[in-house]
Amino acid sequence: MHISDGIVSGPVVTAGFVGAAVLAAATMRNIELEEIPKISVMTAVFFVIDFIHVPFVVSSIHLIMNGLVGIILGKRAFMAIMIGVVLQAFFGFGGVSVIGVNSVMLGGGALLAYGIWQCRHLVSFANRDILFGGLAGALGIFFSGCILALALLSTGEAFLVTAKAVLGYHVILMIIEGAVTAACVSFLLKTSPHLLAGQQPSMTTG
Amino acid sequence: MALDIDRHAHIDSSIQRWDPRFKIVSLLILMFSIALVKSIALVLVGLVGAVILLLLSRIPLVFVYQGMKWIVLFLMPFFVILPLTYPGETEIHVLGLPFAVAGLRLSAMIVIKAVAIVLIAYTIFGSRRFDINMIALQRLKCPTVFVQMILFAYRYIFLFMEEMERMDTAMKARGFVKKADLYTLKLMGNFIATLLIRSFERTERIYKAMLSKGYQGEFHTLVEFKAETRDTVKAVLVLALAIGLFGIDMMAVFPKAELAWF
Repeated sequence: MHISDGIVSGPVVTAGFVGAAVLAAATMRNIELEEIPKISVMTAVFFVIDFIHVPFVVSSIHLIMNGLVGIILGKRAFMAIMIGVVLQAFFGFGGVSVIGVNSVMLGGGALLAYGIWQCRHLVSFANRDILFGGLAGALGIFFSGCILALALLSTGEAFLVTAKAVLGYHVILMIIEGAVTAACVSFLLKTSPHLLAGQQPSMTTG
Repeated sequence: MALDIDRHAHIDSSIQRWDPRFKIVSLLILMFSIALVKSIALVLVGLVGAVILLLLSRIPLVFVYQGMKWIVLFLMPFFVILPLTYPGETEIHVLGLPFAVAGLRLSAMIVIKAVAIVLIAYTIFGSRRFDINMIALQRLKCPTVFVQMILFAYRYIFLFMEEMERMDTAMKARGFVKKADLYTLKLMGNFIATLLIRSFERTERIYKAMLSKGYQGEFHTLVEFKAETRDTVKAVLVLALAIGLFGIDMMAVFPKAELAWF
């Protein structure tokens, strides 16, 4: 789900670019050479996952999984998602003028998901990783839905009902993505736990 | 869905010969100008401009159509939602529901804008090889790290797309059918995890091979850009259109889409 060109107003477009620039600068400090391919891999996976459809009642929903990107890359997730959004625009899926808004919307969700994922160190019970993984996946995408609804609302009151519909859609998406992320995290914990961000109880790993 | 947007980049045209640095900057500005314009008349002018540019680039229209139809389909709900939910009183009723023409105008403008901008994206990225466009971005002082990551991701997307299709075939061959239940969601999670593990393992090997060949965070290239007068002329023409659209919109010569058609 991304917002398309020509919907949001000039100030929102500008705010999106400013926000994206600030977040990119803040999350990309001290980048190491070996992190570049890792971020790109996650961008490509994030891009490809977009093509997976999950059946839902009569229709189907396509996955976004920005929360998972946060769980894997930590704070570098923002850049991975931003590049995904840029590539999407370059490939003719639309959204060139809203690269900033889309980056903040999806990348911000990924950063939030990382924060929630790190909170698992504060508690200790058997399945905390799976629970927090699911929560991170669910709230990451819900955050994106909220930003999208806000961007629509600040554009004009004509979009009030559209914004409500968007929020409703994201509540459904939240449940689905939460479940998929939890399953994914549990699989990765068993097979390659080193792929997950912040496996040591510190907030500094990227 | 066409991921290889530069499939027809070999076709010779005046757009293809245009120095990519000038092309990217001037057409990006035109895109923003179209995105920010608020009246239907001006958006239509922008669309005509985009169509002319696309025709000049000689990219096969069938190719563009295949990508476009999904975007238009995706935007169709606006034609239903916005007229029915536009605030304020209306005289027209459809099936007992208030139908606001203002909402219809707004959705028409959104769709025209989106189409025009995607057409310009096809003109930029369909008329030159993707890597050359990225080198041009780098020459335009776009951060090297950023361009590197785009190039890596671009390569990996095709790789992982194939990988995903193979895994999907394997799952189907074992009798997996997607249903709307928790079991499907769990399997999708495992599917994504497997894709991740395979992707990371594979790219780690690629990266080590690159390091051993002396990769230090930059691709060196023999591609050289040389701007001539006609590159500048083309850029000036496009910029004139962009600034013209934005300027006329600022002067409010044409009414906003919410208020009137023209």
